Amino acid sequence: MDGFVIQDYVYRAKNVDTGDFIQFNEEKCDGCGMCNSVCMANLWAVPKNNKTRLSPKYRELCLECAACYAVCNQDAIDFSYPKGGSGIIIKYG
Amino acid sequence: MEKFDVAIVGGGPGGSYAAKTAAEKGLKTIFFERAEVPGNKNASGCGLGQRWWRDFPEMMEKITQLPSYREINRCSFIITDVDDRHITTIQTGRNSLPEKRIVYKGQNRGWTGASIYRSDLDKLLADTACSAGAELRTSTLINDLIMENGAVKGVVTDSGERIKADVVIGADGAHSAVAIKSGIRKRWKKNEVTLVPQIDFSCNESKMDDVIGNAEWVWFGPYCGAYQVNFRDGFHLGAGQWLDVWDGKPVDLLKQVMKIPLFQSMCRSIDAKIREFQIHLLPWMPEPGSKTYGNGVLLIGDAGGFPCPLEGEGVWHACWTAQLAIETAANAIGKGDVSEKSLSVYEKLWKESPVGKEFEYGHEYVNFWRNSAFNPEFMKKIVVLLGQLQAFNGPSLVFDWSDDHMTTFNEHLGYLLDVLADPEIKEFGSKYLAPMGRGISRENMEKIADMIVPSIASKIKVLPQSLIKKMFMKQYGKNKVSLQGRLSN
Repeated sequence: MDGFVIQDYVYRAKNVDTGDFIQFNEEKCDGCGMCNSVCMANLWAVPKNNKTRLSPKYRELCLECAACYAVCNQDAIDFSYPKGGSGIIIKYG
Repeated sequence: MEKFDVAIVGGGPGGSYAAKTAAEKGLKTIFFERAEVPGNKNASGCGLGQRWWRDFPEMMEKITQLPSYREINRCSFIITDVDDRHITTIQTGRNSLPEKRIVYKGQNRGWTGASIYRSDLDKLLADTACSAGAELRTSTLINDLIMENGAVKGVVTDSGERIKADVVIGADGAHSAVAIKSGIRKRWKKNEVTLVPQIDFSCNESKMDDVIGNAEWVWFGPYCGAYQVNFRDGFHLGAGQWLDVWDGKPVDLLKQVMKIPLFQSMCRSIDAKIREFQIHLLPWMPEPGSKTYGNGVLLIGDAGGFPCPLEGEGVWHACWTAQLAIETAANAIGKGDVSEKSLSVYEKLWKESPVGKEFEYGHEYVNFWRNSAFNPEFMKKIVVLLGQLQAFNGPSLVFDWSDDHMTTFNEHLGYLLDVLADPEIKEFGSKYLAPMGRGISRENMEKIADMIVPSIASKIKVLPQSLIKKMFMKQYGKNKVSLQGRLSN
């Protein structure tokens, strides 16, 4: 179990467009890094002395927990869910 | 534009149970699920407590027939130390007392809970709602509401379709668009919501029967804790933490458990293999959200902040609040008044229900967890203490019975006194045990004293009840911590 990689154990609807469901407002971001620390999919990069960045591939990688939205003190992250029928499929929840 | 009496956002247990109840009352009902199939977006423990047999027995009968069902009648708490060595296991569960508090069809169900995958449970509940006459729209995300003069008048789907309804029920989980778009509340504060990563393992069913049986497991150690919910042929390993106290990646907790040799040997013995990773937000707070109703709208289940403040159980609470919300909505629609004032009856109803009872000691429960299993310092100390006490259970050099009995008994007594007099244990009491008591509010202090004092007195017959109560109140009664701000400490 040492080499456990999360994305190897996540299932997704195929060929269904998720739409854009995370809106990130760079102007509001203060670079605190909380989004990065809670995100299990590593979608938030917070390079030192640089602006926080949302992965351009987030639509294919997001686990839909909404934790980034819940921890952002600056209201810089808006999270709705992927379009109906798209995104992750939880088989054994 | 099509118009309904009730539009329910969310096809989880709360949404489906609300839809079933509404349809049975003859209300024109629609409910929406963003997944292609109900249950395909949901992860939880998922254990159903014994109270299901009391409150939803017909549903429980169907649940026991589902493929992933495992009957649960006990829990094992497995304690390991800083070196991941197994220290002791504490078992709770069925006893031989004749007491029967929940009886269904002549059988005592007071010890019988259930583990069930949400993919099974949610589908069953949604099917039941559809059979009752509710309309289900799957693959439909509701991310906006029809608002008129501050009142909710319906929902807007992700394809832009507008659907009107007299009352909208928000059953859309921790991150509820209904709660936020209706203006009832903003997002949860970080100390009101936990993040729960969870790993599903596939297992060999008959080996699970032999090794695990009808038990849930809980792993406790200096790393804090993780639950293991056991299904027919798989299990969930999960752990949560409030968002205001995250100090790292939450999945690290689970990786810690997966390194424990006893966990690995258990996995080998039941052919356990990692099958799926899931993560979800779970509201966990001393009392439900500041408001659970608005103009033309009601919040149920996780959307309203209803999971149990002691153990985070939420499906039972979702189904209960679903029933009460529909009762409120049906009366309001009948009167032709779905205003905020008219729907405020809902709050009164849930406060008087068994759900309200759960929150009577909400501050105490949440305070207990924050100061114990969720506090790594506490967990480091408690395993040392349990390790010392555990020496009484098994063979050890000190208690090997090679001396005469009186000498051995004396050694036992001396060891116990040493343990109790140990400065580390004293410090443990004042620094780590006392804060759990400090969460008790002034108004609950007397009530708790009245509840626990007679049970202590029945075991220690030499001390009069009045004296025990005096000692209890002396320890905790002077506490003047206000209700407000207790969580912010």
